[in-house]
Amino acid sequence: MSDLMARMGELCASGTVGDQLVALGLGSCIGLVLLDRRKGVAGLAHIVLPASEGHKELNPLKFADKAVPELIRQVTARGGRKPMFEAILVGGASMFAGAGSTLEVGVRNAAAVREALAKERIRIHAEDTGGTKGRTVRVDPATGIVTVRKAGSKDEQLYPALSKTSHTRVLQEVA
Amino acid sequence: MSASYNEVQLDALRELANIGAGTASTALSEMLGRSIDLAVPDVFVLPMADAIDQLGPAEQDITGIMLGVEGELPGTVLMLLTPENAEKICVMLGLPPDSELAPSALGEIGNVVGTSYLNALAGMTGIAVEPTPPTTVTDMLGAIVESILAVRAMSSDRTLLLDSSLIVEGEDCSIVFLLVPDHGGAEELLERIGLA
Repeated sequence: MSDLMARMGELCASGTVGDQLVALGLGSCIGLVLLDRRKGVAGLAHIVLPASEGHKELNPLKFADKAVPELIRQVTARGGRKPMFEAILVGGASMFAGAGSTLEVGVRNAAAVREALAKERIRIHAEDTGGTKGRTVRVDPATGIVTVRKAGSKDEQLYPALSKTSHTRVLQEVA
Repeated sequence: MSASYNEVQLDALRELANIGAGTASTALSEMLGRSIDLAVPDVFVLPMADAIDQLGPAEQDITGIMLGVEGELPGTVLMLLTPENAEKICVMLGLPPDSELAPSALGEIGNVVGTSYLNALAGMTGIAVEPTPPTTVTDMLGAIVESILAVRAMSSDRTLLLDSSLIVEGEDCSIVFLLVPDHGGAEELLERIGLA
């Protein structure tokens, strides 16, 4: 039973009951969660930049285009089934709004991760991205519950969605 | 290209940081009307994820004042202080702690202190630098630092941190002062002092 940390450019995966996958203080980076809820397996990547093109000598896992296939591989290796994967995206903020070069990294990261997932035909089930606040994401592989905490607030469950308004089915009266 | 430096180079960078921080502390001292102590600067060359851990818990609330640096030493000057210490500084400036002016007052402190630091470096090495206007943000330490490092991550997995602490005497209030050069920035510094 332990916290597995995904720091900048790192990823982790687990199917062990009691484990938690954690990425602390995501700013412009994206925390990408892949879940197979029926198998109780999950993975989390801490993605720093959109594309690895032209950066062969660097840690490939910090780039969206390389991290996504590797995360799929690691979650699959723990018993996850790719067709069942649900993706959740957290992060991609602009911490220094109006301060030039850091401005667009978060937005471009989110776009690159979405594109890499689309290429793998994995659907995004929940997303908390953009804005100007840092975020911490926690994943419980056993339950598939994903929580997000923003600076100065409490953990909130992002997935599965807690329905705030109960859907009341309106039955049409048949004359 | 990976960022790696020998002991002599690291010593030289530490010494540059010391002089820069010395000048910065004089500027801060004049603004606040208090004596400022200076901790011996550290120089780290670290994998980026370790750089965040080095500075503190990633989820800790922190106030960051950031100045971009353009010119021959492209990089970022980042000042980090706890929100409590940010309030103390505002009070020392005569502002109510919850004042709407607090972020711009802190930005101005950052501007003066950061510019003094950069001017000292420029004076010693003959490099031309141009700071960009300050941005002040209070958020998670990890989120602030990683957003600055992310831009650098394009060219390296490691980062150089020149880390000094300015301590306001008798107030139990300190500011961590960081210079994070872009890739190549430190090489330029070393070249100018004949140690490249």
